[in-house]
Amino acid sequence: FPQNLPHPEKSGLFLFLNTNKSGITLNLDTAAGLKIFKDLLKWSDVLIEDHSVKEMKQLGLSYAEVKKINPSLIMTSITPFGQTGPFKNYKGNDLIASHAGTESFGNPDEGVKEPATLPPLKVPNHAADFMSGLTSAACTLGALLGRKNTGRGQHIDLSKQEAVASITRQQLAYYSVMEETPSREFGRKKFGGFLYPCQDGYVVIWIGPHYHLVVKMMGEPDWSKEEMFANPLLRNNYIVELNQLITAWTMEHTAEEVNALALEHGVPCSLVRSVKDLVGDEQLAFRNFWREIDRAIAGKLKYPGAPFKLSATPAAIERPAPLLGEHNEMVYCNMLKYSREQLVRMRQAGII
Amino acid sequence: MQKLPLEGIRVLDFCQMWAGPHATEWLSVMGAEVIKVETSNRIDYMRTVGAPPGMAGTGPNVGSAFASLNWGKKSITLNMTTPKAQQLAKDLIKKCDVVAENFGGGVLERWGLTYEEMKKIKPDIIYYAGSGYGRSGPHKERPAYAEIVDAFTGATFANGYPGGEPNVIGVSPWTDGAQAIHGAVAMMTALYHRMNTGEGQYIDAAMIEGHANFLGEMVMGYIINGTIGERIGNRDAVMAPHGCYPCKMTGDEDEWIALAVANQKEWESLCRLMGNPDWTKNEAFSDELKRWDNQKELDKYLAGWTQQYGAYELTALLQKVGIAATPSFSTKQLTHDKHINARGFFKKPNHPVLGNKVLAGLPIKFSDYAAGNYHTPPLLGEHNDYVFGQLLGLSKDEILRLTEEKVLS
Repeated sequence: FPQNLPHPEKSGLFLFLNTNKSGITLNLDTAAGLKIFKDLLKWSDVLIEDHSVKEMKQLGLSYAEVKKINPSLIMTSITPFGQTGPFKNYKGNDLIASHAGTESFGNPDEGVKEPATLPPLKVPNHAADFMSGLTSAACTLGALLGRKNTGRGQHIDLSKQEAVASITRQQLAYYSVMEETPSREFGRKKFGGFLYPCQDGYVVIWIGPHYHLVVKMMGEPDWSKEEMFANPLLRNNYIVELNQLITAWTMEHTAEEVNALALEHGVPCSLVRSVKDLVGDEQLAFRNFWREIDRAIAGKLKYPGAPFKLSATPAAIERPAPLLGEHNEMVYCNMLKYSREQLVRMRQAGII
Repeated sequence: MQKLPLEGIRVLDFCQMWAGPHATEWLSVMGAEVIKVETSNRIDYMRTVGAPPGMAGTGPNVGSAFASLNWGKKSITLNMTTPKAQQLAKDLIKKCDVVAENFGGGVLERWGLTYEEMKKIKPDIIYYAGSGYGRSGPHKERPAYAEIVDAFTGATFANGYPGGEPNVIGVSPWTDGAQAIHGAVAMMTALYHRMNTGEGQYIDAAMIEGHANFLGEMVMGYIINGTIGERIGNRDAVMAPHGCYPCKMTGDEDEWIALAVANQKEWESLCRLMGNPDWTKNEAFSDELKRWDNQKELDKYLAGWTQQYGAYELTALLQKVGIAATPSFSTKQLTHDKHINARGFFKKPNHPVLGNKVLAGLPIKFSDYAAGNYHTPPLLGEHNDYVFGQLLGLSKDEILRLTEEKVLS
């Protein structure tokens, strides 16, 4: 909210998540509201919902019912643990999905120095929710493509736990095939990108096959020629020691200095940047990523653009996120042919 | 009747490593015929990663990482540095709907396979190019290591315990995971458009642009208020208690529970479940706002209670009184979990090296299609005869000759 003043039409997250949508108000607890909802189902290609299995059944909107109303409808149901199995009625949220899908148990990547007091760590923001939403979009598109051939509707049972667990597939395979039991102890990570503190911030460096470049960047210190570090077959066993030595060097520099040296030497590296740097980034500016949208009440703001560029059908923001009930007239009067007078009565009766 | 929604779609897949292969794996599991192109000189590195004990370095078919990212695909070997191989690739493109690649730069261009060239061969082709920073702009040549991209976008900055340092993310949902599914969505969107209009297109997907979407709330927070956010770990902006707490060990691994109390009613249910101990009557925990302000102390008390139970036992007790909770699963615990196994999430690959050690399926569950194309992840070059013989119509002798000439290699 601008200046931290809560306002129903000014939530930045809402504005971002709902561009290009229309918005109506409809009370499903009224008989007329439920009837209108069913009329809308006849007109729809997709119904996407995240209510509990029980709630949908109580409303008479389980897939079995919905299918009778519109056999070619695709219904996508998002629940914490899916529509079947012993946990099907369990409640959840972003925290629950992140931990239920094993993503938190393996975070932080380096492990922690006090595993008994520092718990498994949820990944930040609403990553599990975003992953569940994106996964639902992919499943729904698949069903829409299939429907082009068959005309048939479909129910999609999306488990947020599975959407997250799917991303940890490589680690799940390690357990299954190598019986590698994960630990949370510091030092468990043997290769890949590590965080190095500098005088005024942090960088992440990815050593891997670039050890010789990293060494060159640091001015070829004597220790770097030791067999334990120079031999790539031994190096992972001494990664904690190696990282201590690299840290001693990075601590003598500012993060900007290390980053500049790394880029000059071809070492994969990045400053640990904040969202401020992302919004001001030259690459995103060059690619014309950001979109400016002017919306009633919220005003003119910059928004993230599409996550991919399509040459023939480039993403376009045709309208900003809807105000609450902004499209009631369009949907109820123009589409469903209710009169203005009826619209007023529907409002007064608490139906819309 | 189709058994799977994407039956009849064919993909020529040059993708390697993680994000690219997982994007086309989505199409494969949904029924598309995905033909993966590699060469013995430069196999997909993932073929060597996660080998069974004692099998590391014994060939291109030992990687469980590869298997988990390439369900149901077909594999051919084609040495694209030879002109004949480039011609065969063009012949294949003629028979495909989608070409996908995630090389670090214009590798396909060097082989004469620009989008313009592909369009001449197959006018309605869909060409997906995935990369870390996009195929244009000052950073276009940078390699897309997950940990580096996370640091670049601000994800690493946000990852950590309250008041603590930033941390490298365990399995990043922003980099490879999001890039893969964004890729699948982009390719299916293009297929949908093509079904309506007959028009193909070029897709340029950049990991950092997916990040800027996944980090949307942080991005909007900065744009609106100039705030850069702070590390809050398992906490929530509103709810308390909201965290991960230690449990009693009931097996050979430590156990944790994550739980979230959404409102006063749920808090009262939790208090009753705990037997209304004296500390819950403390003024500091009496309402939503006070609990949030005093959550550090609240978490200590709560941990004292959670420690008396195993994670499963406590999850059941909490969910029964309407509180969201789950064991914080390790990969081992999840692999043996009854719920996710009852749903059939894990699949058996029936693989000559990996046997039937289970691998994660995809989170796709349709009511009226088959479970998915979970055919054994392909051995290197396993489908050369099918692809070059049946699809392109080369004779057995020709295939043999081209193999000896290191074209099909």
